[in-house]
Amino acid sequence: MHRGSVSTVFAFLVASFAISSSAQEPNARDILEAAISQWRGTSSYSEMTMIIHRPDWQRQMSMRAWTKGEDHSLVRVTAPARDAGSATLLNNNDMWTFAPNINRVIKVPSSMMAQSWMGSDFSNREVARSDDILDEYDHSLLKTEQLESHLVYHIQSIPHESAAVVWGREVLQVREDHVVLRHDYYDQDDRRVKTLLTTDIAAMGGRVVPRVQRMTKADAPEEWTEIQVNAIDFDVDLSDRLFTVSNLRNPRQ
Amino acid sequence: MLELRSLSLTLAWRNIWRHPRRTWLTVSAMVFSNCLLVFMNCLQAGMYQLMIDSTLDIFTGHIQLQAPGYLDEPDIRKSIPRIQSQAARVREELEGVAVSARASGFALASSDERSYGIQLIGVQPESEALVSTLPGLINQGRYLQVSDQKTVVIGSVLARNLKVGLGDELVILGSGRDGSMAADVLTIVGILESNMPDIDRNMAFITLDYFQDVFFMQDSGHSIVIHVEDFSLIATKAAQLNRYFAQNDDLVVLDWETLEEGLRQAIEADLVSAWFIYAVLIVLVAFSVMNTQLMSVLERTREFGIVMALGVRATHMVRQVLLEAGLLATLGLLLGVSLGALLVLIISQTGLAFPGMEEVMGRFNLPDRLYPELTLFALFLGPAIVFMSSMLAALYPALRLYLLQPIEAMKVA
Repeated sequence: MHRGSVSTVFAFLVASFAISSSAQEPNARDILEAAISQWRGTSSYSEMTMIIHRPDWQRQMSMRAWTKGEDHSLVRVTAPARDAGSATLLNNNDMWTFAPNINRVIKVPSSMMAQSWMGSDFSNREVARSDDILDEYDHSLLKTEQLESHLVYHIQSIPHESAAVVWGREVLQVREDHVVLRHDYYDQDDRRVKTLLTTDIAAMGGRVVPRVQRMTKADAPEEWTEIQVNAIDFDVDLSDRLFTVSNLRNPRQ
Repeated sequence: MLELRSLSLTLAWRNIWRHPRRTWLTVSAMVFSNCLLVFMNCLQAGMYQLMIDSTLDIFTGHIQLQAPGYLDEPDIRKSIPRIQSQAARVREELEGVAVSARASGFALASSDERSYGIQLIGVQPESEALVSTLPGLINQGRYLQVSDQKTVVIGSVLARNLKVGLGDELVILGSGRDGSMAADVLTIVGILESNMPDIDRNMAFITLDYFQDVFFMQDSGHSIVIHVEDFSLIATKAAQLNRYFAQNDDLVVLDWETLEEGLRQAIEADLVSAWFIYAVLIVLVAFSVMNTQLMSVLERTREFGIVMALGVRATHMVRQVLLEAGLLATLGLLLGVSLGALLVLIISQTGLAFPGMEEVMGRFNLPDRLYPELTLFALFLGPAIVFMSSMLAALYPALRLYLLQPIEAMKVA
């Protein structure tokens, strides 16, 4: 009990120190947190198109996505016809996939989280929890630059030893209005592996958000996956039932 | 001339038995190292062939045809078109080979309780058993049949992990060749146990035709596996295939050394470290020979001085001393090789167990008991090197005789 109260006081001191220091210089973590909440809101509903491009072929999928809080989301594919109805549910750390042709729900094991999601350049983990980066990484502000009429923060995030990620570090460029412009992923040897680049920014659902983002592999610029947001609503009223396995299997939307 | 030579030989023979105990000690050093070298070389030869055979026979085959780049980065899209008919063509063109086509993809295998990422292999049931021993390692149920649809054979560890048995359902989920979702519910008809962790834990087999359906492969696949009946003809067959497919730039011919680079490297690394130790052994034996010969020359300094004074040329004496060393080395060689061969023959009947090494052995698919293989090469390689280094070592004491002054030498007590 006694020790608990001491550490509470200590935490309070640290917190107040953090606040006072952020008065002079923006705190890297705060910038990221603001960017993520700008993007996700407390809840959201969006319609998106995903284009997977390879030198010899290209594939386009349409999907609808619901998110709530930091760790609930549901993605349903609506086109092409062969994949329509397949869906992915994320609930906290768990991920399930629904295959409509066999009417089965399959749990994605944690060992598969680094695998590609639906053949794209996004891993299951990236689709699952874009907010992991907040708590499992240490953040620092590399530099601030002026881009046209906006300030852009370059933030370096290095995962904790214990974080279950494959990256050595990530570098994000966040505009002062909380739009992520660019996200570079580096491996343990500090080679850039892939980059998520925002190619179009638009005001949608009452917020300024990246409308088109493209993930490109560093060693194969001809291989990329683009996500286009066609419509998005923020702070919609979503029931918790939406994010359950039984709902994944029996769509009512 | 002939008489002189036989005289030198008689002299040399008598000379080495002047000190029987010293000679026997030197010879036994040679015999011991020769014996050890013969045994170890035969054991290694047996082990390497076993490693190669078991690794290649179980799944990889001796030669594979694949799409370029597939080996380094397997991608379902890097495929060989019309794979069944191409495999049939290889079967017709080449003599003394067995051929089977495969397709392969990554999938999530899921039972009611659990999911695991696995390698799903599409095989031709009618010819798979000719290129792989896996169909014969079915532990429960049966292997795939040509007409099978929606049936799967899985590894024993995977079955245990998924908590499934014969007749149970297995849900597979993967990405098809066009990137769309490939999913189906299969029935487990067989469980195989190879004792190779990679296979038993990570692999499941379906028919090639069905694989092509589920993964939207049309008529394509990923590898044509070739088993060459005569191991020594692999390079010839690979060259033949290269000529045959020279104008096809959508596939490459890969031999086992490329396919199983780790195996080749493991053999090379083992060989290098073993020969490092053998080299130390051989050098020690050589020094012991040098020591013996040096002593035998030094103790005869007076003698050499006298025969020199009588008009015998130094060259002749040097030859005489080298002949003695040669006799010594030949004795060591003959006894060492015979004893070594005997040891190999005995152990090759009983086998040699390595307690505590089961896990390492399992990685290379080796049984827990090894049998040395008696080949002429393995038999004579080590002893021949010992022979040559003994002769080299004898050069120093022998060549010293050129510096001998008859008068000085005769003064030596």
